[in-house]
Amino acid sequence: MKRMNRLGYGMVLFGLLFAVSATLLGPATDACAADFPAKGRAVQVVVNYAAGGATDVGVRILATELEKALDTKIEVVNKPGASGQIGATYTSKAKPDGYTIGAVNLPALNVSYLDPSREAVYTRKEFIPLALQVIDPGLIAVRADSPYKTLQDVIDAAKANPGKVTVTTTGLQSTEHFWMMRFQKLTDTQFALVHFQGSAPALIAILGKKIDVLCGNVSDVTPHVKTGEIRVLGVMDEQRSAFLPEGVKTLTEQGIPVVGGSLRGYVLPAKTPQPVVDVLSAALKKALESQEVKEKMSNMGLTWRYMGPTQFEKLWDDLDEMMIKLIPEMKAK
Amino acid sequence: MDVVLNILAGFAVALTPQNLMFALMGSFLGTLIGVLPGIGPAAGCALLIPLTARIDPTGSIIMLTALFYGTQYGGTITSVLLNVPGEASSVITCLDGYQMAKQGRPGVALSISAIGSFIGGTLASLALVVVAGPLTRMALEFGPVEFFALMVLGLSLLMGLAGTSMVKALMMGIFGLLLSMVGMDPVRGSPRFTFGQMELMDGIGFVPVIMGLFGLAEILENAEKRFTQVVQSKLSSLIPTRQDVKDSAMPILRGTVLGTLLGLVPGMTNSASSFLSYAMEKKLSKHPEKFGTGAIEGVAGPETANNAHANGALIPLFTLGIPASPTIAVIMGAFMMNGIVPGPFLFKDHPALVWGVIASFFIGNVILLILNLPLIRLWVKVLKIPYSILFGLILAFMIIGVYGLDNSAFDIMTMIVFGVLGYVLRKLDFPLAPVVLTLVLGPLMERSLRTSMEMSQGDFSILWSSPISAGLLIAAAAVLISSALRFLPIGKRIPSGDEEV
Repeated sequence: MKRMNRLGYGMVLFGLLFAVSATLLGPATDACAADFPAKGRAVQVVVNYAAGGATDVGVRILATELEKALDTKIEVVNKPGASGQIGATYTSKAKPDGYTIGAVNLPALNVSYLDPSREAVYTRKEFIPLALQVIDPGLIAVRADSPYKTLQDVIDAAKANPGKVTVTTTGLQSTEHFWMMRFQKLTDTQFALVHFQGSAPALIAILGKKIDVLCGNVSDVTPHVKTGEIRVLGVMDEQRSAFLPEGVKTLTEQGIPVVGGSLRGYVLPAKTPQPVVDVLSAALKKALESQEVKEKMSNMGLTWRYMGPTQFEKLWDDLDEMMIKLIPEMKAK
Repeated sequence: MDVVLNILAGFAVALTPQNLMFALMGSFLGTLIGVLPGIGPAAGCALLIPLTARIDPTGSIIMLTALFYGTQYGGTITSVLLNVPGEASSVITCLDGYQMAKQGRPGVALSISAIGSFIGGTLASLALVVVAGPLTRMALEFGPVEFFALMVLGLSLLMGLAGTSMVKALMMGIFGLLLSMVGMDPVRGSPRFTFGQMELMDGIGFVPVIMGLFGLAEILENAEKRFTQVVQSKLSSLIPTRQDVKDSAMPILRGTVLGTLLGLVPGMTNSASSFLSYAMEKKLSKHPEKFGTGAIEGVAGPETANNAHANGALIPLFTLGIPASPTIAVIMGAFMMNGIVPGPFLFKDHPALVWGVIASFFIGNVILLILNLPLIRLWVKVLKIPYSILFGLILAFMIIGVYGLDNSAFDIMTMIVFGVLGYVLRKLDFPLAPVVLTLVLGPLMERSLRTSMEMSQGDFSILWSSPISAGLLIAAAAVLISSALRFLPIGKRIPSGDEEV
């Protein structure tokens, strides 16, 4: 019995020594950025939403191509919760060695650090923009049997009955909420904004005739536009959408310059060495521009739009500037 | 008949050896995930998502869906045998299933729930084949207002779950509502009761709480008994008696209808279905006093309802392309990764795939029944493992499962805190079912009320504006009054059945 015990202690001691030496030696071996990514070491992509959601699927479509471009394994890790804040915190705190890439949704991420009540532990500075994958333009739509035939009809109705025409958003401070704030300001109207949790319940409420107007994304409604159940009154983009009937005008064309969409892109934690950033942004460009990725995204109704680090950064900063002004307005209801 | 031809063609797809294998794999994995406490269908499907990118779409979707409804079979097993819920939707089965196990009838409880699950799952799938269109239209009638009225009705059934003391039951109900308030406000988005903890922003996780209150508390309570076997009595036959079958028939039928209908309503959870079924069975029963002491109706109803719910919830995905729950969203992801968009065009654009998958539901349910019935003999043997060993294993699985929900260690802490709390509450003879009921219904109720108020801009009359919601509210009032009578002195003529035995 005693001998067994001693053996046990020996094993534990050995294990501890091993663990300590591993932690001491660990960082030394991967501090070198020149041979990034190291042979056989997986790169993880952190998704801030649950597996199987639209964001997640977009990332996984890319992952297969990114594996080829980087010649290493890609692990997609889901860190859902708190509207993406849990995942973003994880990415911002990750070791800046290029082995952790964050998949982010804007402007959801902007809100999380711009709104003090969210108590985020990160700011814009914690992320290096790498690449933009998707812009899913916003739109305003109604049921096919709705009395509103044009955007002007909706505006007139809201003017006649301020605060009575109901409009969906996918949540407070969601992209849809931002667009409707802009829309109300530009058209001098007031709607009853109904904040649902995500696009699915909002769409159900529209199809079930519970709500008058849908504010959503192109990818949400594409199938229902094809069946003729939903009529799109305007798209919030600089150009008309390839996924919608040709006659659907942009809001800008109709004199209301609201341009916006849900953006999905990739970031690295700050302080990642520049050579590593370069390797990854080149690999992402290659993967995102592959025919495979473009085709699968188009099947999902997602508008493919690649942007490199510099362009993506500018877009991001513009968004920040606009949102800083809008957030206090949205809070004071 | 078009439908007949279509479904026959579907069986031709589903019965190919390859697809049969996928259905078998999904069923097996689903049962396993159901058995393992903590890890649930959403996590299970998410684990398989990377795989689906590499195998053919029909096969991968058959596997994922089989896993999804298969968990509802497996979830019962630990609930009945160990009082540790295998799945969120099987919590309520602990109440009577575990009592049956203690009386030496674990086999009967498991057989009945497997049979109920089979009937529920198969009939809900049949509804998908025959009346998917009209059912979907009906589900769309359930807006936030109607949803709220339904939740009020559900909450009114809470009084029926009270044991000896109505005060204690109400206290527990309010405690559950308080817990459901933690997290981000569903409308304003501002954090409530989070104390600066980011992990609390999404609220207190339901699974860690029930794992603690039921599973861990059970282990703690047994630990003080110096590891004697809990199930002392001899194990009786696995085959239900004629009386068992007679008692279960109506609960199974009602559970099927309830589960299928609630499954259609977007945003409704599986757990709500099984809870409402239990509460309804108790309300309708001629001898409600038997509930909680091993009534077979309390196992048959909820276990059928959660399976019917699982298959019913797939209907809106197929007809509208709208996922009714997080797990279904994962399954929808599998469609989209293969370039297929579920929704109105699914039946037209991919008939072979969609009818193949639907046919596989029937095959999957048969496989699950075949898989589960003989295994019961084996599962029951688990009770022969010395508890000193068994509890260590269960605890390890619970911790892994709870961690696996969101890869968060915080959830493990939550489970431990609620485990200790559950232990104390048991010692003080507080009923646990009301906490769980309000924790399930609370957030759904709050969200639908707030959304309704936004729709009407603060006008309460919207709540009884539609015939459906008005009807549900009246039913809730009737339930409340009849339950209250039971606890008033004038109601003593009605046998209360709550006397101490």
